[in-house]
Amino acid sequence: MSAGMILIVMVAGLLLAMTLNADATLRKSNAKGDGWRNGVASVIATVSDTFQFTFLRTRVDAALGKNQGSRIDAAELVRRQQEAQAAQDAYAASRPPTIAAPTSSAPLHLWVGGDSITQTLGASLQRVLATTGVFTSTLDYHVSTGLARPDYFNWPEHLVRDVLPKDQPSVLVMMFGANDGQNMTDRQGRGLTRGSPEWLAEYRRRVAATMDLLKSPTDDRLTIWCGPPPMGPGTKVRGMDEIAHIVWSEAQTRPWIQYFDTWPFLSDDELRYVLEAPSADGQRRVLRQADDVHMSVAGADRVAWAILARIGTLIDLSSGRIAPPPGETAPASVAERREVPESMPGSE
Amino acid sequence: MLFPTIDFAVFFVVVFTGSWILRPHRRAWRWFILAASCVFYGWWDWNFLYLLLASIGINWLFGVVIHRALTPDGERTPLSIWLVRAAVVVNLGILGYFKYFSFFVSAVADRLDSLGISVSAPVLRIVLPVGISFFTFQALSYVIDIGRGHWRRPLPLLDFAVYLSFFAHLVAGPIVRASEFVPQLDHIPDPRYVRASEAFMLIFRGMFKKVVISSFLATQIVDPVFRLPGAYDRWEVLWAIYAYAIQIYADFSGYTDIAIGVALLLGIRFPLNFDAPYTATSLQDFWRRWHMTLSRWLRDYLYIPLGGNRGSKLFTYRNLFLVMLLGGLWHGANWTFVIWGSIHGGYLIGERVVKERWVGHERGVPPRVVKVLQWFLTFNVVCLAWVFFRAPSVSDAFAVLWRLVVGTGSDANVTLLLILVVLASLASQFVPERFPKRAERWFGGLAPILQIAALALGLVMIDALGPEGVAPFIYFQF
Repeated sequence: MSAGMILIVMVAGLLLAMTLNADATLRKSNAKGDGWRNGVASVIATVSDTFQFTFLRTRVDAALGKNQGSRIDAAELVRRQQEAQAAQDAYAASRPPTIAAPTSSAPLHLWVGGDSITQTLGASLQRVLATTGVFTSTLDYHVSTGLARPDYFNWPEHLVRDVLPKDQPSVLVMMFGANDGQNMTDRQGRGLTRGSPEWLAEYRRRVAATMDLLKSPTDDRLTIWCGPPPMGPGTKVRGMDEIAHIVWSEAQTRPWIQYFDTWPFLSDDELRYVLEAPSADGQRRVLRQADDVHMSVAGADRVAWAILARIGTLIDLSSGRIAPPPGETAPASVAERREVPESMPGSE
Repeated sequence: MLFPTIDFAVFFVVVFTGSWILRPHRRAWRWFILAASCVFYGWWDWNFLYLLLASIGINWLFGVVIHRALTPDGERTPLSIWLVRAAVVVNLGILGYFKYFSFFVSAVADRLDSLGISVSAPVLRIVLPVGISFFTFQALSYVIDIGRGHWRRPLPLLDFAVYLSFFAHLVAGPIVRASEFVPQLDHIPDPRYVRASEAFMLIFRGMFKKVVISSFLATQIVDPVFRLPGAYDRWEVLWAIYAYAIQIYADFSGYTDIAIGVALLLGIRFPLNFDAPYTATSLQDFWRRWHMTLSRWLRDYLYIPLGGNRGSKLFTYRNLFLVMLLGGLWHGANWTFVIWGSIHGGYLIGERVVKERWVGHERGVPPRVVKVLQWFLTFNVVCLAWVFFRAPSVSDAFAVLWRLVVGTGSDANVTLLLILVVLASLASQFVPERFPKRAERWFGGLAPILQIAALALGLVMIDALGPEGVAPFIYFQF
C-alpha cells in the first residue's frame, strides 16, 4: 500500500472511530476538566449524537454493563431511598450508629473507595486492617472520578446500587476531591465556575445528599469520610481546603458520618504541603508520589494507621491486634484539627 | 506520550505525513524525526530531555575518541580499552544514580542500623526518567561496538541522535542496535510499497493485548491478590500468578508490537522482541523468546565478555548466574529482582546439569510426554519467578506463595471469564504464524473503504472492552 493511501485510511479511520466513539471520548474528556480537548470532544459528540452515530458504542457498553455515569442526582436518590424506607417504617431518627465489636470469627466488613488517591491509601488500609485480624475489606477506587462529574462516574448511584446492597459494609472509608476542582453543571443545566459561591453551594449539596444516602435505616453503618490532603504547589489541583471544609461542616450534623482529617498527617507544622516528614521513629519518609498529588506507600501507611486509630475510638476493637510499627505512623504531635477552616494558606 | 491515546494518534498522523514528505531529503528528514522524538519524550516531562540529549552528546563523543584511539586497522589499543571502560562507567553511573542510589543509601542505613549504629538516611526522591535503561543500553552497545572495531567510522552526530532518540523504541524497546538501525537511515524506502497490513495488524494486536487483556487481568485479579494475598483463597492466588504471567506478556509484548508496527509505517524495521515465550520447553528456550533484544544484549555485552562458556563447567555456570542476576538488577533496585534473576540463573544451571545427565537415560519415555513435562515445568518456574518480579517486597512475595499453601475460603474471584482469558491467551502462543499472516493478507486485500471501517471498528471495540483510562506500560518503570 502506498504511503498516501495509508494516510487516507489512517485519518479517515481515526475520524470515523472518533465519531462512533464520541460519547465515550467526551465522558473521559469531561472527567479531566475543561480545556481545548473538551471543546473538540463536545463538538464531535454533538454532531455524532445528532446523527446517532454512537449507537454501536452505546449498545456495546450496555451489553458489557459498562460506564455507570448517569445524570441521576444524589438528592433524587435520597428521596427515593427515604420513600422506600418510610414505606418499610424503617427510617430511624438520627443517632450515632451502633456497631458490634468485631472478633476474628465475626469480623467487620470495611469498604474503602474513592478516586485514584484511594488506590494507595486503600491498599495500605487493607494491609493495616488485615493485621488486626478482625476486619475484612474491599477496595473500590475509580480513577479520575469524584462528585463533580456524575456523567462520567456517578458515585452516589454506585453507592446505593452496588456498594451498599452487594458489599454490605459495616464501615465505609471514602475520599473524593482531587478531580473535583473543575467547573460543574447544576440540576438546571447552568454552568458553575469552580470556586464561585454557586459552585461551592452545589458541591455542598452533592456532599450532603451523598452523606444522606449512606445512612443506615437501622443505624448500624459508619462512614469515615476523609477530607482531601493538601496538594503540591506544582500541581494543578486546587481548592482542596474548600472541599475539606464543606465535607467537615456537613459531617457535623450527621452522626453516621465521621470526618477524618488527612491534612495534618501530610503537612508540616504550619499545615502546608510537605513532601517528606518524620515518622514516630524519627526517620524522615517521603509521603507523596512524584506527582505531588498521590500518596506514597509511606504516606498512605501513615494515614491508614491514623484512620484505624480513629475507628478504634468509635468501635470496640479490643479483640483485634493493633500494634502499629512506629516507622509507619505519624509522631504523637500530629493530630486532626478540631475545626476545618474554609481556606488554608498555599491552597488557593 | 502513551501509544494508545488520542494524543499519540494525532502526533503520529503529523509525523507520518512529515516523514514521508521529507524522506527523500536525508538531512531534513533526520532533523524532523529528531524533533518529533524530542516532542514524544518531552511530553512526559521536558526536563527528561536534558538527560536524553546529554546521553546523546556524551556517547557520541566517546564514540569519536574511542574510534581515534583504535589502530588504523581497527584493532584495540590500551587507550581505546580504557576509553570503552570509561564510557561504560559513565553510562552505568548515570543509570545507577537514577535507578539504584536511593536503594543503596537505604540498604547501607539498614545495615548500619542492624549493627547498632543508628543513622538517618537522607530522604531522596530521584525521579526515574522514562526509558533510561533502554537508551543507556543502546548507547553502550554503540560505544562497545566502536571499541571492538565493528564500525569503520563513528556515526555523524545527527545520525547517532536519531538512532538513540527514535521515538518508537525510545521508552521500552526493543533494544535496537546501531548496526540494525543506521543503515536504514540511508536507505530510502519506496513510498509506494509500505508494509501497511503487517504494521496495522501489529498495532491492533499490541493495543488489544495492552488495553484489553493486560488491563482486565490486572484489575480483575492480579492487583487485588498481590495487594492483600491474605484475603484470598489458594485457587485465587494460583490464578492470580498465572494471570500475571499473561498480563506482563500482554503488556510488554503489546508495547513492542505497537512500536514495531509504528516504525514499519515509517519504513523502518525493528528486530523481533517476543516469539511466543510461553511455548518454551526450557528456560534457555524461554530466553530465546522473551525480550529477545535484551537477551541478545546480555549475551553479547556481558556473558561473552565474562568468558561465556569458554572454560570449565563451573566457570560457565558462574557466568550464566551472574548474567541473570545482573539482568534482574537491570529491572530495578529491589531484592525481589535479585531473587527473580537468581531463580532464572539457578534454574538455567540446573537445567544444564540435568540435561547432561539425562542423555542416554531416557528409558523409553515418549518424547512427546517429555516435551509436555518440560513445557509444564518451564512455565511454572517462570510463573514462580514472576511472583518475585511483581511483588513490592520479598516478604510480600513470600506472603503470596505462603497463601498458595494455606489459603482457604471462597474462590469467588476465579470467574469463568478470567479462566477463559488466561487459557486463551496462553493457547494463542501455540497458534502457527501462518494464521496471523493470513489475517494480514485478508486486511491487505480489502478495499480502502473497508479498511477504514475495520480500523474504526477495531479502535471502538478496543476502547469499549478496555477500562476507563490507560495505565502506563509496566516496562516504562524500567
